[in-house]
Amino acid sequence: MTELRVDTRPAQPPTAPPAAVRRRRRLTVHGAINIITVLVLVYLVIGPILMLLLSSFEDTRAGVRIRPPFPWSSANFTGVLGDSQTYRVLGTTVVFAAAGLLFAFTVSLVFAWLVERTDLPARGLVYVLLVAPTGMPGLISAIAWGLLLNPTNGYVNVALHNVFGLHGSGPLNAYSLPAMIFVQGLALVPLTFLLITASMRNMSVSLEDAARTSGAGPWTILRKVSLPLLRPVLIGAGIYQFVTVIEAVDVPLVLGLPGHVTVFSTQVYRVTHPAFGLPDYGASSTYGILLLTLAVAPLLIYNRTVRRAQDFATVTGKAFRPRRQRLGRWRWVAFGASMLYAAVSFVLPLLVLIYASLEPYIGSISVSSLQHMTLAGYRKTLSTDLFVSSLGHTLVVGLTASFAAMLLSVLLSWIIVRSKSRFAWMADVLAFIPHAIPGVVIGLAVLLIYLLLPVPLYGTVWIIVVAMATQYISLGTRLTTGGIAQIQQGLEEAAQASGARASQVWRHVLLPLLRPVLLNGFLLVFLATIKNLTLPLMLQSSDNVVLSTLIWDRWDYGDVTGAAVLSVILTAVTVTAALVLRRLSGNGEQI
Amino acid sequence: MSAIRIDQLCHTYATKNKTVTAVDQVSLDIGENEFFTLLGPSGCGKTTTLRCIAGLEQPTSGSIEMDGVVVVSDSVLVPTHRRDIGMVFQDYAVWPHMSVFDNVAFPLRIGRKLRRAEIASRVEQALDLVNMSQYIDRRATQLSGGQQQRLSLARALVRQPKVLLLDEPLSNLDAKLREQMRSELRLIQQRIGITTVFVTHDQVEALSLSTRIAVMSGGRVVQEGSPREIYLEPNSRFVADFVGATSFVAGRALRSSPDALVLETELGTFNCRPDPEILPGASALVALRPESLVVTDTPGERDNCFAGEVELSLFVGEGVDYRINVGGQSLRARGSARAQFDAGDRVYVNAAADDCVVLLADRADSADTLGAEVADAHH
Ligand SMILES: Nc1ncnc2c1ncn2[C@@H]1O[C@H](COP(=O)(O)OP(=O)(O)OP(=O)(O)O)[C@@H](O)[C@H]1O
Ligand SMILES: [Mg+2]
Repeated sequence: MTELRVDTRPAQPPTAPPAAVRRRRRLTVHGAINIITVLVLVYLVIGPILMLLLSSFEDTRAGVRIRPPFPWSSANFTGVLGDSQTYRVLGTTVVFAAAGLLFAFTVSLVFAWLVERTDLPARGLVYVLLVAPTGMPGLISAIAWGLLLNPTNGYVNVALHNVFGLHGSGPLNAYSLPAMIFVQGLALVPLTFLLITASMRNMSVSLEDAARTSGAGPWTILRKVSLPLLRPVLIGAGIYQFVTVIEAVDVPLVLGLPGHVTVFSTQVYRVTHPAFGLPDYGASSTYGILLLTLAVAPLLIYNRTVRRAQDFATVTGKAFRPRRQRLGRWRWVAFGASMLYAAVSFVLPLLVLIYASLEPYIGSISVSSLQHMTLAGYRKTLSTDLFVSSLGHTLVVGLTASFAAMLLSVLLSWIIVRSKSRFAWMADVLAFIPHAIPGVVIGLAVLLIYLLLPVPLYGTVWIIVVAMATQYISLGTRLTTGGIAQIQQGLEEAAQASGARASQVWRHVLLPLLRPVLLNGFLLVFLATIKNLTLPLMLQSSDNVVLSTLIWDRWDYGDVTGAAVLSVILTAVTVTAALVLRRLSGNGEQI
Repeated sequence: MSAIRIDQLCHTYATKNKTVTAVDQVSLDIGENEFFTLLGPSGCGKTTTLRCIAGLEQPTSGSIEMDGVVVVSDSVLVPTHRRDIGMVFQDYAVWPHMSVFDNVAFPLRIGRKLRRAEIASRVEQALDLVNMSQYIDRRATQLSGGQQQRLSLARALVRQPKVLLLDEPLSNLDAKLREQMRSELRLIQQRIGITTVFVTHDQVEALSLSTRIAVMSGGRVVQEGSPREIYLEPNSRFVADFVGATSFVAGRALRSSPDALVLETELGTFNCRPDPEILPGASALVALRPESLVVTDTPGERDNCFAGEVELSLFVGEGVDYRINVGGQSLRARGSARAQFDAGDRVYVNAAADDCVVLLADRADSADTLGAEVADAHH
């Protein structure tokens, strides 16, 4: 029956026979899906970058050419780099970003320490109030602060005039760089705070205790142990938020434009959509390239930090109760400060928006103005066709872009984590790149592509969907890669060994196990897309107005009540989505 | 006819800066209804070989035939789900989002269409086989390790595959459960008659369960044979050392004939099991199993008897483990639990000629390169 074939050759140290190392390859369904996914990604991610490079190195006075002969020219770069305004914009952008980050990180560190490490009263409430503004789009908080602080009739200014008997404009000016920094800083706090508290919670107190028993005082411990341990998350979050600041157009547009404070993102927007005359795509692409460079350098560091962050053994997995610092009589001072901060950062803007949405015209708040409150603004705004269609567009964009982004993400993550394919590293890089491209640059590049390609996407909602899906692939893959990595490979292999085809493995094993991650990611991306003003604005036409662009349009037009009404509605939607998300995931620590 | 035929199988893993040859020119021929074991130290390529049979790993070269059909070769690749196998993974791989019933029913549901009642009855049968019927409605995550183990076995058996692949299925169980599952496994295999390939690094499991064993080291098969052959006639120092704790005594052959083999060693002359391959003058090793050495306080009547002194004496319940110094060499012996000698006692070590296996020194040396990495796995 059986034949003994004992291998009695003297064993040698195992060396690979060179001829045998070549692997045999056959195209399987899985292989085909992998290749298609990578190609789609290359198209979505590399396409825009190439487009940007092409148009910035062309003479675009007669339009951008995508076929030879290319009208090569360095005029765009000499023009942009030779213009002293470029350096002013660069300076403003850097100051805006740096000061905004400094503000946000100081506030976040203080509150994170209070919530995680002290006996602050009502810590849960403070936590929720600090995180709540995640639901408020930057555009809307900018509008609210515009209403509060504008120099002619901002509510705060009017109140100050009445109290101190001042005259003229001011004293506070919403349309200035300091105000922009303040509002942007407030907008950055929720996520920064979340990241820092999460990492503080996971930080082992035993490390601090070890320092304490070595004779270090509290201040030394903070400097020598706690902050260095937090460094990876501080650097990571800092660089991530840096891109958030320089890519967004909302705050700079609402608060910067009236006071002629220009940053790179608004510069790209203005050159692409000039108030008069034809757009200069060559120049806007060049600005885009500069902005991209500004974003990429720190992101390369970010990538390294995040990778090395795993070396920091601060996560012990064991539940522990850290000893909390007693604040003594400062306890209630700290609590008061927390409540004041929450009131200023979240409650005040929200109340102002609601008030403005109920007021027929903007003025000081008085007994008579409160008596004039009316729902007329709601009736008028909600009955327009534009509102109905923009709501529809918002939903279409939100749902399809989140679906597309999560679909691509999960396929991409599978390639990154599971396939032994030689494309795996490419997938990893491709998934990371959109994170490094500022939104306004993605918007510009996608605009150029569909302006030129004979695909009827330009001016439709679908062009926004493409841009959004591209932008949020990085966010999606970050979640799905973690999700797939947590599923033991054996679970998939057991299904294969039970006779399941690749499609059945996905349907019966992978997708059910990934469901929480996918749902969470879908909601996260959905929330981000409906808050996003940058992409719809860069890609706007009369046929693809979404809620965020409609709000900007109303505000820009001077219809304050209309803008406020829409802001209240959008905030209600986003805050609800954010709450559902937190309920589902139980934590909001993902970026 | 053979159920699985592996020919010149090679598998290399490409890691970042080098390639690792996990399986190197392995050829095996596994018969119908055999319980075939791949035995070897950690990292010797057992799992990789098994995964190649399952199709989870695509070999670099070589071919595999199952039931007369080529499943992988230079020109053919049958994907895992088309191979008629059942597999039990080292870490169970029980699907946490399904109930016990759903886990076991999975292979039936995704295959050809079966009626509900048919599926239910076959799932019950399979669960019965592994004594798990009472847990049928539990969620898979509510099972203990041993229960998950048995569930995973039921899942592998439910399709009634031609071949059952087991990757260290008992390694995560506690000693008692392992022993119980070991006998259950053998009973089930005999009852339903299924070709089984079993991977383990535990020699007791391998010896007690298998019809045949292939001992692997560094990606190669170093010896293949029945448990008896592997244990009693190891062909190299590596095998002798890995399968059972063996003491070696170096020497030189004095006389060799079909019915006698005498070695001259540092301990004196050794009467050994005859081996026509050993020629007079050849340098060789005598391999001594602890349980074949008899420890006495007076010189015995055996073929070989040496005086020594007890270095170490450990009571282990079923016997006493001794380390005995004989002429400067340390020999391991296993004595009865009844009478225990203590460290320092002067004793005699006796061995029957048939229990003294002689290994040619050059053969033994060639296995040393393998033995080095094995040493720590063994202890
Ligand atoms: N995915 C992989 N990539 C690179 N090398 C691998 C991979 N899987 C296994 N190896 C290497 O191949 C060799 C054989 O591995 P294999 O898993 O087959 O060993 P094993 O005999 O099953 O060991 P164990 O008893 O520890 O399970 C080992 O040296 C291992 O390091
Ligand atoms: Mg293994």
